[in-house]
Amino acid sequence: MAKIKQRYDGVVIGAGIAGMQASLDLAGQGFDVLLVERQPSIGGIMVGLNKVFPTLDCSSCICTPRMAEVAHHERITLLTYTELDKIERHNGAFRVSLTKKPRYVVEEDCIGCGKCELACQPLAPHEFDYGLGARAAIYIPHGNAIPQLPVLDPDYCIFDGNCARVCPTNCIDFTQQPEPVEVEAGVIILTTGLKTTPMDAKKEYGGGKYLNVMNPLAMERIQSSNGPYGHILRPSDGKIPKSIAYVQCAGSRDKSIGVPYCSRVCCMYALKHGVMIKHELHDAEVTIYYMDIRAFGKGYEQFYRRALAEGVRCVKAKVARITEADNHDLVLRVELIDEGGRVADIRHDLVVLSQGLIPGWKPDGTVPVELDSDGFLKVRDLAVRSAYSSTDGIFVAGVATGPKDIPDAIVEAGAAAMEAAMYLDRMGWRAEAEPVGAGA
Amino acid sequence: MSEAVRNWREDLKVFRERTGGLTESKKAMTKEQRDVTKAIQEALKGGPRTVPEIAAQTGIPSHKVFWYMIALKKYGKVAEAGQAGDYYQYAWKEATS
Repeated sequence: MAKIKQRYDGVVIGAGIAGMQASLDLAGQGFDVLLVERQPSIGGIMVGLNKVFPTLDCSSCICTPRMAEVAHHERITLLTYTELDKIERHNGAFRVSLTKKPRYVVEEDCIGCGKCELACQPLAPHEFDYGLGARAAIYIPHGNAIPQLPVLDPDYCIFDGNCARVCPTNCIDFTQQPEPVEVEAGVIILTTGLKTTPMDAKKEYGGGKYLNVMNPLAMERIQSSNGPYGHILRPSDGKIPKSIAYVQCAGSRDKSIGVPYCSRVCCMYALKHGVMIKHELHDAEVTIYYMDIRAFGKGYEQFYRRALAEGVRCVKAKVARITEADNHDLVLRVELIDEGGRVADIRHDLVVLSQGLIPGWKPDGTVPVELDSDGFLKVRDLAVRSAYSSTDGIFVAGVATGPKDIPDAIVEAGAAAMEAAMYLDRMGWRAEAEPVGAGA
Repeated sequence: MSEAVRNWREDLKVFRERTGGLTESKKAMTKEQRDVTKAIQEALKGGPRTVPEIAAQTGIPSHKVFWYMIALKKYGKVAEAGQAGDYYQYAWKEATS
């Protein structure tokens, strides 16, 4: 484990793209930052995406240099596989209580060779691939993971000792326990990200029940060159799909499931998926069933036109329900708005639900910040104080405050770092200074 | 390097006790993984096959065959071996005798 100091200028919670950017921007101004991530690797959701819209740049190619920069920055300390327990006011600053979960690997001894994973026999659904692929009980999270260290999952360990037997540095440590970590910090930046609405939130769509009804993030993994399949295939039988449907607003703009807002990225990622599918599967049909296409960002409308030109079909329709046909094909009952509301049953090989974005974390009393009516972290004043939470000294950025795309999340992260730096200067807090009352 | 001296064999015994030991569900998981892997290996003795072909031959649901096939491919046991219609074919990489 990295050497943890008792005091930092800032603690950033969540090491997705926003958290990494906020850490870099705060550390770049000379402040000491502790970046905390609950997953075993930093990078968040972005490192698992295939491409970014509208440029179709490789997502991990943008994300991994930032991950490396974070890991090597002399003013950033990285604490992965660590849960946030509590943040409370303390001596005019904050006391942050964390729990470092056991990897069962001595981090300073491990050389990341991966021999333990190859020697380990049990197979488990791989979280990074949304269960579509497998991992061993001890595994390095993915090829781009930082740190490149394995983590042992006791739920799948069969205690054969193979991992320890082959380890060249004897770094498997079965004695590790959860380890409390407590630090002080002048400011907090919350970049706690997102998750998608549950697969079964809309029962009528069969998510979580039908094998070929998919989560959009899982579809990103399928399309990625380092994804589980290496090709675009469907999960039920490995078939190369010839007809793929996207159901828009399948978890957004829907009061019935408590998500009345637009998730802001679904139209664009569906169009991006459509283009990428057409690039790989030239004869495949991609149909996007939508209420209205919201292509509002720079270059987004042009990308929408490009998708249409490349053969992606956008059909204004409302999908009423999805049923499973023989051979795990899916039948969508749709109301075709541009055909006078005609109802049709349309068969597809694979269906992606464009699920809504919801908060990836809720404070639940552990951190003194308020939530907005949509469940995301409350921003003090969206017009002029968009990086301020409801509490002085706690700043917010990225999807923690509401759905947004990657460029907006990065801009907000920079703003949060700047506001945090000015706050630190105003209060005169520097981690290198002696704590209040020290030596007394 | 840390200076701790670890006796992983002794530590493993304690770890096993502390985390609930080899439960019935873990035994069942291990057996299924062994059985499905063996069935796929047997099915591929006759040459490259698609997932539906293996599912039909073994009686194992196609989604399960596919999941294991992807896992076996990841860990170097099988490889893609061409395409048959809308499906990839897979071949066992290790000696099957």
